[in-house]
Amino acid sequence: MSIAAINEQLLRAVGVGIAVFTYPELSLQFKNEVFETWFSDDGIAENLPEIFPTLDIDNLFKVIEASDHYATEWSFRKKRRTMAITQMFTRARISGEDVLILECQNITRIRELESMIESYSTMVERNTREIQREKEQVEKLLLNVMPRGVYDEYKNFGVVSPQKYDSVSVMVLDFIGFTKTIDKVAPATLVSELNELFSAFDRIGEQFGCERIRTTGDMYLCVAGMQDASMNHAAAASNAALRFIRYIRRRNENADLSWKCRVGIGTGSVIGSVVGVQKYVYDVFGEAVVTANIARQEAQALEILATQDVINNLNGEPEHEKARSVSAREAGLFSLVST
Amino acid sequence: MEQSLYNKYGGFSQVNRIVMAFYDDLLDSDEIGPYFDHVDMKRQIDHQTKFIAFLLGGPAHFAPDHLKRVHDGLRITEAHFDELKVIFRGTLENSNFSPEDVVTVLDLIEYYRNQVVAE
Repeated sequence: MSIAAINEQLLRAVGVGIAVFTYPELSLQFKNEVFETWFSDDGIAENLPEIFPTLDIDNLFKVIEASDHYATEWSFRKKRRTMAITQMFTRARISGEDVLILECQNITRIRELESMIESYSTMVERNTREIQREKEQVEKLLLNVMPRGVYDEYKNFGVVSPQKYDSVSVMVLDFIGFTKTIDKVAPATLVSELNELFSAFDRIGEQFGCERIRTTGDMYLCVAGMQDASMNHAAAASNAALRFIRYIRRRNENADLSWKCRVGIGTGSVIGSVVGVQKYVYDVFGEAVVTANIARQEAQALEILATQDVINNLNGEPEHEKARSVSAREAGLFSLVST
Repeated sequence: MEQSLYNKYGGFSQVNRIVMAFYDDLLDSDEIGPYFDHVDMKRQIDHQTKFIAFLLGGPAHFAPDHLKRVHDGLRITEAHFDELKVIFRGTLENSNFSPEDVVTVLDLIEYYRNQVVAE
């Protein structure tokens, strides 16, 4: 077999589609079997524009004249399948005549896989967005039951170790006559009122560095000094309590329901920890919580009572005086005065 | 928690082979292939990728009426739906799905018969 015959056999056997056209007439001179299967199985078309009717012939000439090569992609349906073929045109000189060699590669599978990857990416991106949204909701819920520092520890290590805070101030507040109010007011109204009041306390407390730990019914408990040991937590809790009372007074002027709270503040150590396994909640226990609760129980309507330890840490501000009621005075409590 | 078939059979790196094999098997079918004569390739692959991932418990979402909407007007018959199940059975078996898992997936497909077959 001659070299020319071997070459022709090779051209016919390769997996790419190959055709040769005269140049510039573009008449078909040679096609291998692959090319024929893809584009010319009816055998009628005999020149390039007939085989590829939408091919931009003007552009092909322009690019070939400039660089001898022209690349493009061709897409067509073959038995309900969308075929995608890359076309590489090359101008060459054979036996003194110009010809245009066309080499076609089947990239149908690549395009199909690209479509699938695109589809999969959309799925995964949507899923990621949903997971992110759920994560944010869980984070929001957890931040309602524990301080951010504790949440961060839980997120990073999966557990929260109990921590002792040597010196913090605890403020406890509840409402006088709350049980009677429950009987008088519709449940939705009551919950809405509590939501409004506690949300306002959260906002005010945040300004002073007090962090709400929990609410139990009408009782609200917050702590100053847990996240920042260097702050004057007694002053922070006292000033926040005074603003709480001011807020309640103003609110009572224009609201249908009049609320009368009593506040107790204690200073000392507490232990903070997550309690529970299935249903867990962050809580604080200790001396400061106990003394703040005693002070709260002794307080009268719209009164803030603080322990001697709180007063010792105040540096005179805010102003205070001996408690008005005898039992509170005997317990060594002081009443904070709004200036 | 029970592992999904999607994870059991190797996640997307393996499931993508099932998607492509099923795509080929459907187009090659003389019975139901003609339904895809004029369907855009991207649209068909997108639908099959999501549907197969969804069936196997992967990260896909299908609104309850989505299948009905995309098959509306195609006049798909009960016999064609049965043929689709035969083809998908073959695809799953060729993808080394265990006989029990093939039954599980085909039962799931059966659940959507009323949404696909024309009333």
